[in-house]
Amino acid sequence: MSEISVLPQPMHDLEVEESRAGLLRWAASVDHKQIALMYMMASIVFFVFGGVEALLMRLQLAIPNNAFLSPETYDQLFTLHGTTMIFLVTVPVLLGFGTYIVPLMIGARDMAFPRLNALGFWLFLFGGFLLYFSILAGNAPDMGWFSYAPLSEKSYSSLGGVDYWALGILAIGIGTVSTAINLIATVATLRVPGMTLRRLPLFAWMSAVNSFLIIFAMPAINAAAAMLFIDRNLHARFFTPDAGGSPVLWQHFFWNFGHPEVYIMILPAFGIISEVIPVFSRKAIFGYGFVAASTVAIGLLSFGVWAHHMFAVGLGHPMDIFFAAGSALIAIPTGIKIFNWIVTMWGGTIHFTTAMLFAVAFLIEFTIGGLSGVIFAVVPIDWQLTDTYFLVAHIHYVLFGGTMFGILSGVYYWFPKFTGKMLSEKLGKWNFWLTVIGFNATFFIQHVLGAEGMPRRVWTYPDLPHWYWMNMLSTVGAFVLGFAFLVLFWNIWRSRKMGEYAGDNPWSAWTLEWATSSPPPIYNFAEVPPVHGRRPIWDLENPEHTDAKQGGRS
Amino acid sequence: MKSSSVFSPHSSFAWSIYHLNVFVLIAMGVILLLVSGLVLYASWRFRAIGGEGTPKPNFGNLRLELMYTILPAMLLAAIMVFTVRTMQSSDPPQGAHPDDVEVVGHQWWWEFRYPQAGFVTANEVHIPVDTPMLFGLGAADVIHDFWVPELGRKEDMIPGTHGRIWLAADRANTYSGACAEFCGVEHAWMRIRVIAQSKQEYASWLHQQQQTPALPASGEAAAGLNLFQQLSCANCHTIRGTGTSGTIGPDLTHLASRETLAAGRLNNTPDQLYLWLQQPDIYKPGSHMPNLHLTDMQLHSIVAYLETLR
Amino acid sequence: MTSSEFFGNKTRLAVLLFLASEGIFFAFLITGYVFYHGAVKNGPDAHNSLDVLKTGIYTIILLSSSATIYMAERALKRKQKGFSFWMGITVVCGLVFLFGEMREYMRLLQQNVTISRNLFGSTYYTVTGFHAAHVTIGIILMGILLLLSFRGGIKEKDHIGVEVISYYWHFVDVVWVAVFSVIYLWSTR
Ligand code: HEA
Ligand code: HEA
Ligand code: HEC
Ligand code: CUA
Ligand SMILES: [Cu+2]
Repeated sequence: MSEISVLPQPMHDLEVEESRAGLLRWAASVDHKQIALMYMMASIVFFVFGGVEALLMRLQLAIPNNAFLSPETYDQLFTLHGTTMIFLVTVPVLLGFGTYIVPLMIGARDMAFPRLNALGFWLFLFGGFLLYFSILAGNAPDMGWFSYAPLSEKSYSSLGGVDYWALGILAIGIGTVSTAINLIATVATLRVPGMTLRRLPLFAWMSAVNSFLIIFAMPAINAAAAMLFIDRNLHARFFTPDAGGSPVLWQHFFWNFGHPEVYIMILPAFGIISEVIPVFSRKAIFGYGFVAASTVAIGLLSFGVWAHHMFAVGLGHPMDIFFAAGSALIAIPTGIKIFNWIVTMWGGTIHFTTAMLFAVAFLIEFTIGGLSGVIFAVVPIDWQLTDTYFLVAHIHYVLFGGTMFGILSGVYYWFPKFTGKMLSEKLGKWNFWLTVIGFNATFFIQHVLGAEGMPRRVWTYPDLPHWYWMNMLSTVGAFVLGFAFLVLFWNIWRSRKMGEYAGDNPWSAWTLEWATSSPPPIYNFAEVPPVHGRRPIWDLENPEHTDAKQGGRS
Repeated sequence: MKSSSVFSPHSSFAWSIYHLNVFVLIAMGVILLLVSGLVLYASWRFRAIGGEGTPKPNFGNLRLELMYTILPAMLLAAIMVFTVRTMQSSDPPQGAHPDDVEVVGHQWWWEFRYPQAGFVTANEVHIPVDTPMLFGLGAADVIHDFWVPELGRKEDMIPGTHGRIWLAADRANTYSGACAEFCGVEHAWMRIRVIAQSKQEYASWLHQQQQTPALPASGEAAAGLNLFQQLSCANCHTIRGTGTSGTIGPDLTHLASRETLAAGRLNNTPDQLYLWLQQPDIYKPGSHMPNLHLTDMQLHSIVAYLETLR
Repeated sequence: MTSSEFFGNKTRLAVLLFLASEGIFFAFLITGYVFYHGAVKNGPDAHNSLDVLKTGIYTIILLSSSATIYMAERALKRKQKGFSFWMGITVVCGLVFLFGEMREYMRLLQQNVTISRNLFGSTYYTVTGFHAAHVTIGIILMGILLLLSFRGGIKEKDHIGVEVISYYWHFVDVVWVAVFSVIYLWSTR
């Protein structure tokens, strides 16, 4: 490496941390890698909570007229499950990937604001504790993850569950915004010289766009949650109809946040896929510009479609049509991504590592979820299928088949970087196939269940034709899926100690995080390779065939 | 029990949604086949088998990318045109048409008012076949949602607002529906029965519902009536002609003419009515109908009385 | 300064992003107020309860503090004297504004206009209360700056810190302009 670039300096002294030991060193850490790992570990714990909640629900739903759980318990379970999976699992784990990988990808030593980074993490954790403390306090929230008024108001939810929910969301919201600001500042100011925005790795691109979504979407729920809290505790009247308040206003506020939130949960996963597919196809990404630009388009559009969650409210046909058209439009930039990934694979040399398997499965599973989203954007069909198990199927195909498959791909891809050890590919294959089978068994049938008239959020159901076996299949699938995660956890646990050594760049990947040791030293890079294109390591290793010489624009 | 599938439409409204649904499902199915076909083909065709050199990079192709920008846009435009047309046919304008039935959602039962005929009933609604009926939708407490899949769209019932939807049935039959917005503990047991009848049967049903049932003069039933008036039942329930006017629970004036109890939880047989009155908290935990710890004798009397309410 | 230099300062960038987020937060609160404007048919509302004139005067005081903080910043940038002086005036303006708002609250509460009275009360106190909290935070931040400068700690190199606090203060003022226009000036029926 001939050229050594001068690094933009983060402003904290690194020596201080190394003197502290053990747990305290983690707790007091401001190193982006440690904070990121804490994000991920906390999310895994919450994921086990959310997953066990789901398994309990599925047990209750396995047979009709079941009395395994009380209705109150069931309602608490799906509220906690939804809130946990969204606020305490997907968003933080993706922020975790972002805080770990983005600074490395752009050749920085840390995030722009290391202390703010720690603050963001601890606020998120505090919010999670608040939410789960409600169980110890004896009344977990039980009004569903979108907390529709007036059910969430004091008259109908007199216990404190909703208050814990509102305060927890506020804490998480503020923490998430601060991390998002940090990510943008990092990408904007700490890129190594040579790394122009047009050479920025796609994962970093998508994390940055995602951060903008967070910054602009979170305030809506913060305002709404504050109002709800004031309603409940100071007896204000924002959302109480008997005093003139409007339940529909809550819905507008909530979905102004809620819709962008769903893209907040998918964009970084798109980013992961955009890294994994090229590396294991041994080809540069096809249509970098379209992939990056379509991300921006999705981000912009996502603020104009919120009322597609409210077609059943009866807002009037003109409103419905406007929001339906906006929702359908989002399919176009999303489709561009899907096709660009496929063309990237086309003509490549595809290595089916576990990371690649998950990425390829993502393409199909997410498409199923996206297509059912388009079905919901068709207003009359939404009038039929909203709030049924067809919706439960949609959200799990996008959130699990999309986001979670992306995350799993990312775990297999970056674990060597995080730990210096390889995950077992053999266990990985088991993990993959069990996940695919369990996931589709659990959720595909729910499309049919919804069309057969089964509403969501029912703690039990009558023995209508076909409902029994379809629910039973779904429950069995959920346990297979649970087992798949046991394999993953075992794989992580085992490989962390006994895995093969990874070396710096086990996948022969091309972005800068692979140009340093695994795990990277606290200062990240002794020296950063020069950046003349989108694939710095490729350029370095193939000076005769650099991307620039092969005709890649940058 | 009856099916409640969106794929067995039984009204012009539900049919038009059904057609749209089939069209969109086929379109989405084709896209899914295309995408998964390409993915699987590429996975197989370009899998690494060793020996191949580094593949030739391909950084982009504007023509190709524009193609898969524009083709989906055209398909979506077609779907949207179809959508708008179906919105009109499945949810036609209501004009100044008066509400034929007023539905009020309660935690966790349905109140059905027939403003023209002037009576109130619960949980089961009768309509004449082949006659579109305008349903007015309101709620007494939280948001509920009225949905009978085979007959048409659903709509939220938001307290403080008044929604309206058309419903019709093309065949005499019982159609099963449900509350489709989470409304608290017993949202699961808030099921709807729509009973479509020939015009004559409907007329005689209307006539019968308008009658005030005769008061039993003697025997078990008279004792039951007494209990009903003296116990707290009267605070929550109305039975016309008995001087009771509670509105917290369903109107029981013609209870015995209904097929089910407690919004579909139980069948309306004397035995199950007995069980319901004995332990509503077991059959519908969380329900606002309290367990009044009635004795066996009291229960028998009340059931005997309620069974007279044809 | 080019725009890439301007946004290239991470502190400035972060604070601007933060303020964008805050701005949206207030936009939603104010939307809540606008949504319920005129919802109160009889009972206290903006028209019959608010004191537009007095609050108008306090508004002018708050707005002029945007100018004084600008002066403070300029003094620092040009290495002139007067930083503490102008900063002190800004803090005083903020305090006077809070005092005025407190008086308005006291008056309203005496007339039994509370947050739970009706939709006007709920929306009015929520919007102005969150704004007042932001003013308070601003005063604390500026108070810290003032203390530091008395101890001789503020130099031209700390300029960016002062600059972003002044952004924050301008932001609080702009929000108040919106709040005042929507709640006070739009109070006729
Ligand atoms: C990761 C999260 C995620 C993602 C990415 C999406 C993506 C989409 N969603 Fe989904 N959605 C949720 C999470 C998500 N959703 C959640 C959690 C809810 C429920 C909340 C609740 O009620 O609890 C919900 C609910 C929801 C509703 C409301 C339903 C209702 O309540 O009645 C609607 C309605 O329009 C909708 C639409 C869409 C659309 C159009 C997309 C599009 O972005 C999809 C675009 C992708 C594709 C279309 C596939 C790829 C494209 C091609 C291969 C190109 C060719 C395609 C065509 C020409 C069609 N979603
Ligand atoms: C990222 C988001 C995410 C994820 C990953 C999941 C994962 C799962 N979800 Fe979730 N779900 C939501 C988001 C998500 N869900 C949301 C937002 C809602 C709406 C909530 C609402 O209505 O308010 C919802 C609602 C929802 C419902 C509908 C409830 C209702 O409407 O009544 C159901 C029912 O089947 C369900 C099931 C499952 C299952 C079986 C999994 C499985 O994938 C879980 C698999 C994971 C594990 C099983 C845990 C890990 C493994 C172990 C701990 C080892 C132990 C295992 C064994 C002993 C086998 N979910
Ligand atoms: C505190 C109020 C209350 C009291 C007291 C009360 N009920 Fe009820 N009752 C209800 C409510 C609410 C329901 C609806 C329950 C549901 O479906 O969730 C109901 C349902 C019923 C039903 C089923 C009606 C239907 O249409 O399916 C019957 C029958 C009934 N009550 C009879 C009685 C009798 C008899 C008594 C007195 C011994 C009584 N109730 C006392 C509130 C009350
Ligand atoms: Cu009523 Cu759900
Ligand atoms: Cu949405």
